[in-house]
Amino acid sequence: MSNDNTMNLQHSQQQTALAGQANAEVFTLRPLTDIHETSQGVTLYLDMPGVTKDALSIDIDQNVLSIRGSINLHTPENLKPSHMELHSGIYERRFTLGDELGVENIEANLNQGELKLFIPRSEQHKPRKIDIKVV
Amino acid sequence: MISNMLRFPLSMFDDDLDNWFFPEARRFNRRPRSAYPPVNIGVTDENVDVYLFIPGMDPAALDVVIEKKLLSISGERQLKKQASEDAQVRTERFDGAFKRVITLPEDVDVDTVEAQYQDGVLHIRLAKPAVSQPRQIKVSAQ
Repeated sequence: MSNDNTMNLQHSQQQTALAGQANAEVFTLRPLTDIHETSQGVTLYLDMPGVTKDALSIDIDQNVLSIRGSINLHTPENLKPSHMELHSGIYERRFTLGDELGVENIEANLNQGELKLFIPRSEQHKPRKIDIKVV
Repeated sequence: MISNMLRFPLSMFDDDLDNWFFPEARRFNRRPRSAYPPVNIGVTDENVDVYLFIPGMDPAALDVVIEKKLLSISGERQLKKQASEDAQVRTERFDGAFKRVITLPEDVDVDTVEAQYQDGVLHIRLAKPAVSQPRQIKVSAQ
């Protein structure tokens, strides 16, 4: 019985260690984001300094928008880090989009590490002004 | 090694006291708690490389100053204000003035400095003087 317990303990410790390792591998930075909304659509501004156009991917699966980018600093090969405030080279963030947004016509713009994404509202969801005729 | 001059006076108090004594602090406290901009520093045998992650800046608006052994980087980030009819759903990004001061190691030649701004990252490279670079010494047999 006691043997079983020890076995279980070892097993769970091993699992925790593995989970920790897995977490370290997928550790990513969460780009800080501002979101503005208008009647025309939604604009997202993401801070992703160090990301170039080639290292950026924007994907839509169903209604989930995923943004991922990796930092390329062209550091010298023998560089030894002495002080680190950014501990990962990858930014990643997901947003769930409402049904009223038209995912086909997203406009993306990357300028000096600032990503601007405009997601238009689909036509049938844009506010319409209805003229009232006075008879 | 790194100090953030702007945040220091405010962080001495807790949030409520900040708001009570310094109404201005309300604005500051909306910022993320970590210093802006984040800095990574690395060294090689020849150089000290400093990287500051400051997206969306005009390089001309960045102020890089070396005084004695202190490297300071300051500037102001002015985010585009949304039009009045827009709803601001989320605001996380840093907005406003910033300053970071970095104490340089003793063995840095403050006269040989290069600064480059690319993809929202400011890279400052300081050279180490030749005397402090590692040298291979030949051992001769007698």
